Amino acid sequence: MLEVRDISKRYGSGHTQVVALDSVSFSLDTGRLLAVLGPSGSGKTTLLSLIAGLLTPSSGEIVIDGHAIHLRTAAEAARFRRTTVGIVFQEHHLVHYLTARENLLLVPHLSGRVTREDRTRADELLASFGLTERASHRPALLSGGERQRVAIARALMNAPQIMLVDEPTASLDTDRGLQVVELLKQQVHERKMTCVMVTHDPRMAEHADERLILVDGRVVEESAHAT
Amino acid sequence: MLAIKELLGSKLKFGLIALAIGLVVSLTMITSAISEGLIRGMSGAKNEIAADAVAFQRDTFPILERSVVSADDIAALAEAPGVARAYGVGHSFATVGSADDAYDARVFGLGDRIDQLPIVEGTGEIGPGEAVADASAAWWGAEVGDTVTLTPTGIELAIVGFTEGRRYVMFPTLWVDLPTWEAIHVATILGRVDGGEDGAAAAERMAAQFAGGASVAALEFEPGVSLAEVQQALGDEFTLATTEDAALAGNGMPEMILAVGGIQVVSVVIGALLVGVFFYITTLHKTAQIAAIKAIGASNAHLYRTLIVQITVLVAVATVIGTALALAAGAGMPPLMAFDPDPARWATAIAAVFGTAYLGSLFSLKSILGIDPATALGRTST
Repeated sequence: MLEVRDISKRYGSGHTQVVALDSVSFSLDTGRLLAVLGPSGSGKTTLLSLIAGLLTPSSGEIVIDGHAIHLRTAAEAARFRRTTVGIVFQEHHLVHYLTARENLLLVPHLSGRVTREDRTRADELLASFGLTERASHRPALLSGGERQRVAIARALMNAPQIMLVDEPTASLDTDRGLQVVELLKQQVHERKMTCVMVTHDPRMAEHADERLILVDGRVVEESAHAT
Repeated sequence: MLAIKELLGSKLKFGLIALAIGLVVSLTMITSAISEGLIRGMSGAKNEIAADAVAFQRDTFPILERSVVSADDIAALAEAPGVARAYGVGHSFATVGSADDAYDARVFGLGDRIDQLPIVEGTGEIGPGEAVADASAAWWGAEVGDTVTLTPTGIELAIVGFTEGRRYVMFPTLWVDLPTWEAIHVATILGRVDGGEDGAAAAERMAAQFAGGASVAALEFEPGVSLAEVQQALGDEFTLATTEDAALAGNGMPEMILAVGGIQVVSVVIGALLVGVFFYITTLHKTAQIAAIKAIGASNAHLYRTLIVQITVLVAVATVIGTALALAAGAGMPPLMAFDPDPARWATAIAAVFGTAYLGSLFSLKSILGIDPATALGRTST
């Protein structure tokens, strides 16, 4: 379970201080997909970065399965992301000189060693995402939807407890965007992960299990499990 | 994996920079070989004298051409505390051949240890009127078995063998025994003796003065004795120097070594800047990608290791290119060109390029450390 307790994030100080998040709290059970909606500058990306350990909150706590994760050093945070978190970026950020399969194997490579099991897992993920035929292609030769599916598969390589997804459909048309969200939801349910998906598109959010709307860093609407 | 894959994924980009670094490496190697060639060509004869030290006449060091030691001086040096053996080494100017086809040479006389010359052709057994020539004399047409004439004295020398690495001031050398050298030296100084009886008398007096003497004395020390100790025992009558110090002094050698060394240092610095700036710019271009890789868990150490692997591969490839270019350039140079590749000096040049390239990588490291992984998720501050 992911618990975000009274989290605030402020940038700058004095007159120039900006409050990106203001006392945000919610909890999310394992196996659930939460869509975080809100206009630009509402704090969605900041929330994602805090959960990923890329930023440190100004106040509040982030707890995963009873373990606080917000007070880590940079090295600990990097290890936490390698082992516990899967991130899908808006711009997919696949490494352009690696094939789809090699992009998946990048994750265990960062942990030090690529095993036979890792290669098997990469092949299984590519197969489950319908990308077996595209495994040896570089990102430049893949369509937008294929790239995003490879990005999701890469995020699943380390069997993460937490999946963080940033605007996964921003560069896709509606149909392909919906396919990606459905795929994501299916994976979250099957693999019993906790997933936070940031989107500005309410149509995509409708397919999530829960919703949370942020405006000016505050929660203005929440579904059943948000507190 | 990342490092090599990236190199293979951008062959043209990395190939061009490897070529550029290779050119710098070849420049460093060529200047190194020229430097070595100049040093050996300018002073190989002095540097290779079989001795622990060379004794110059007072106030003449490092000018071999000005120094004169008499037979008594050599005998006194041989008796000095700590000296096991002393023998004369004579130096004289010479022109070989006719006026139409002449070349300048230097004649060296050896009072002892005449077997010290490494023979590459012919024999090293030098009798009166015979000489072992430096192999560079062959560039001027000399052959073993030839009899050459020194002009304008008309003295003839039979070349019985070739040695190597014993040029002096870029001229070929002719190595003779000391009595032969004396005859050549006196005749060379006198040039042509005219004026009847007075001239002949002058020549006789000069020959008497030089009898058994030489330009400098080569000294071999007893075990455990240092040059400073012998110098102290001798006082200021003679100036002692190791053969290496004697070789590297005089004839503009320090200035020349400094100039060539300067070119080498500049080449290495240019190589380092090339590597440093190239990888710095490459890192800047990859900021978004590096931020994403950091966001999925890459440590700064991992990213720097990747950079170091890439630099190592790139400089290794550049070294192969540079070595091939330097060898090709050497093969295409005329024989008289001072070009003497020395594996140890080339290894030093390569090590310097590697070292400075790693130093240049610190620019990229600074850049890597400055990349915030949070930017991979977009702008988070407002």
